[in-house]
Amino acid sequence: MFGAGAMTNSIPEIRGTDLMFVIGSNTTEAHPIIAMEMKRAKKNGAKLIVADPRRIWLADIADLYMQLKPGTDVALLSAMMHVIVTEGLHDREFVDKHTTGFEDLVASVSEATPEWAEGITEVPAEDIRTAARLYATTEKAGIYYTLGITEHSHGTDNVYGLANLVLMTGHLGKENCGMNPLRGQNNVQGANDAGASPIYYAGYQRVDDPVAQAKFEAAWGTELSPTPGMNLNVMMKHMGGLIRGLFIMGEDIVLSEPNTERVEAGMNGLDFVVVQDIFLNETTRFADVVFPAACFAEKDGVFTNSDRRVQRVRKAVDAPGQARPDWQILVQLAQAVGYPMPDYQHPSEVYAEMAQLSPKFSGISHERLEDNVSGLQWPCPDPEHPGTVTMHSDGPIIGKAPFQTIAYRPSEELPNSDFPLLLSTGRTLYHYNSGTQTRRASGAVAKQPENFIEISRRDARKRGLDDGQLVRVSSRRGTVIAAINISPRMKRGCVWMPLHFPEANTNRLTNDVGDPVTQTAEFKVCAVRVQALVQAAK
Amino acid sequence: MSDLTVPILTGPTLTLTLDGEQVHAQDGETLLDVCRRAGKDVPTLCAEDRVDPMGSCRMCLVEVEGQRRLQPSCAFKVQAGQVVQTDSDKVQRHRQLLLSMYLADHELDEDDLPRERGTGNLLRQHVLNHGTGPDLPPINAPREYRMENNPYIHFDPGACVLCNLCVRYCDEVEAVSAITLAGRGAKTTIATADQKGLLDTTCEMCGGCIAVCPTGAMTEKPSLASNFQEEKVVRSTCNFCGVGCQVNLHTQDNKIVRVTSPPPGETVNDGNLCVKGRFSMEFVQHQDRLTEPLIRGKDGGLHPTSWENALKVAAEGLMAVRQKHGTDSLGFISSSRCTGEENYLLQKLSRAAFGTNNCHQCAAT
Ligand code: SF4
Ligand code: SF4
Ligand code: FES
Repeated sequence: MFGAGAMTNSIPEIRGTDLMFVIGSNTTEAHPIIAMEMKRAKKNGAKLIVADPRRIWLADIADLYMQLKPGTDVALLSAMMHVIVTEGLHDREFVDKHTTGFEDLVASVSEATPEWAEGITEVPAEDIRTAARLYATTEKAGIYYTLGITEHSHGTDNVYGLANLVLMTGHLGKENCGMNPLRGQNNVQGANDAGASPIYYAGYQRVDDPVAQAKFEAAWGTELSPTPGMNLNVMMKHMGGLIRGLFIMGEDIVLSEPNTERVEAGMNGLDFVVVQDIFLNETTRFADVVFPAACFAEKDGVFTNSDRRVQRVRKAVDAPGQARPDWQILVQLAQAVGYPMPDYQHPSEVYAEMAQLSPKFSGISHERLEDNVSGLQWPCPDPEHPGTVTMHSDGPIIGKAPFQTIAYRPSEELPNSDFPLLLSTGRTLYHYNSGTQTRRASGAVAKQPENFIEISRRDARKRGLDDGQLVRVSSRRGTVIAAINISPRMKRGCVWMPLHFPEANTNRLTNDVGDPVTQTAEFKVCAVRVQALVQAAK
Repeated sequence: MSDLTVPILTGPTLTLTLDGEQVHAQDGETLLDVCRRAGKDVPTLCAEDRVDPMGSCRMCLVEVEGQRRLQPSCAFKVQAGQVVQTDSDKVQRHRQLLLSMYLADHELDEDDLPRERGTGNLLRQHVLNHGTGPDLPPINAPREYRMENNPYIHFDPGACVLCNLCVRYCDEVEAVSAITLAGRGAKTTIATADQKGLLDTTCEMCGGCIAVCPTGAMTEKPSLASNFQEEKVVRSTCNFCGVGCQVNLHTQDNKIVRVTSPPPGETVNDGNLCVKGRFSMEFVQHQDRLTEPLIRGKDGGLHPTSWENALKVAAEGLMAVRQKHGTDSLGFISSSRCTGEENYLLQKLSRAAFGTNNCHQCAAT
């Protein structure tokens, strides 16, 4: 996006905003603390626009709620842009000064009328107009989104669409505005920053840039490959083919990647698998070696949160038995294959090495984090720099930001007579991702003991299904058992399931077709059918 | 129990007299704001920055010239020219009587002081700092409450001062209104709407009610068995979602016994936590944790081995794949759950030790 993918603004800025456009984010469940800030802003008089196929809790307090059909975000966003440019609500000065490609964008949305979008999204055209006008004419307006935007086969287009809205209205580089992806996991941002990426070294320096390559070769004392690697989704597809061995740290890919059956077949085709984790899980079933790791409370280091804030993680208790911190194991494995990784005494030394090689965070160190209790937000190029609360206050980082034209195309897999319901997936408040941690928490287990499927009353009645009844949910890829949860939050024709239950793994259903740019899989939309258990057994 | 922050002057000021001295204040501030800035020890129970003032506990009363009755400083707005006394005889007498009344209706320890459970008890501090008036007979009112059906939150009506902070937090900050004041007169207490267990209400188990309770009437159940005097506190960052809440991990005998938030004001979570950050730490000391390296045996099962051997087998196995199928036949999957340093080292391992850029974290979004 505007030069770096991260929240352009900061979490504490939310309370001062005048308008929040929340799309594809069930904030109250996935990011409760951010939702509190939103409630606070609302209390102070800010407007709230929510777009989500599920009537999520925030929709109840929203000024405008748009219940769009899953996978139709691009149509909605295009129509909003259409309204803004045809009514002349865009910020001409910002567009001239900081962007390119506006003419093409205007042309690309000329047909995208709210009436056209209503036909696709099922959101009333008038609501789309109202949303566009409110967003464009409110000075302090921020966009907040999460996986509901990115986990689609057109996730990149969704993000471009949002970026276009931000750029054409000049809601960038100012307090309480911006484009704000809320990260699902504690250190998604930090892992990206640190170079856990097939194309970037730490600090977003490309592996195919000879200057970066030379710098890292000198620092690490070895030759490095200039060929970008495979991303995770590509690796998953090539398991057993191009990919023959995996080293997996802290991730249960068999549970959390889409299309489980295919992942399992791929894992079986591998020659050698090493897993480093804190529990046995679905993935360790395929492991040749398992390293016991320390959890976050047992080691030192940093996490970087959604608003680019680097904060300390500190050891509070000892790891159980012989478990070791992941960083130590990585060093020992490198040394075991003959690469002279230094004997770091403490993660602060690792951070120092990374910071020295990465201008974006050169100014950050463990020492400085001791004095800055609220963390330091990158960019932070030198030790005197206070960190960056709001990005792009001097215009987009990479000079002028280009508008990206987008075009609506339906999701890859749409319902038909065999699989008549649209399934979306997500997280709940009580559980977390693969559930290895929260499924060992008594409260979460008491509240949500088993996998469930949310369905509208009408769809349930049509199938003669009762609340709590066990059903078989099937897609083209697999079947799982779940309990019916009749919910007023669901739109007709749509169902929703959480992703936290290994014994009834929702990813047996999900589609692994990827976005053409990011390869992020389409977790959010696939077609399923739901049948009562007894009936299915016949 | 959370600390109140000292407000900073930002705009044009007005002047008033506080305990005989001229002080500055800003329009819209309360007398309590001014007192805090001036470093006055004005005791409070029901005041808290994150919710609107209620002025119900009467602990913070001050004498304002021209007002016949003492006024709650937490709710009383400043005015230019006011003359205010925070520690006059009248205020002191009133405070001690009030503390006596609170004591008569409070659970006491062996020293006849309000009980302390590790979450802090403001009432105890106020009694120690300001003394009490006459001894009043204990009230021992029977109080109905039924929210125990939940794994995390313990409520002890005997230690409740009915400041209503928990209810206000639940309404105003968490906005789910799971609990409410219930009953009448001496039987008044905190309860759920239909006297259900908390689990069967809209409660989201954020634990905010515990965090704001001034007396420890609300406590973390898991901490009840611990000896809070021996707790050690380590500041860290929550390991669940991407908000990056700051947490204080309270430990005892190498176990996490409770998680609290650092005070509001300086952190991204502003004193708040959600159910995961505050309560979902059982996994840390769970019996299923992996405690030794394992390797796959000939029988197909995983078996314990030494670190030395596990590292050797892993290194040889990965190298054998590389020799047979080429450098880029290996993939390295990193974790958004691990630290920045670990992610850095994983890409270094992948690129420098094994020569491939096939390295990615599990959640690139
Ligand atoms: S835990 Fe949170 S939601 Fe539940 S009663 Fe307390 S404040 Fe309300
Ligand atoms: S439980 Fe605590 S916070 Fe709630 S009313 Fe009683 S003393 Fe106040
Ligand atoms: S603190 Fe002022 S009345 Fe309670």
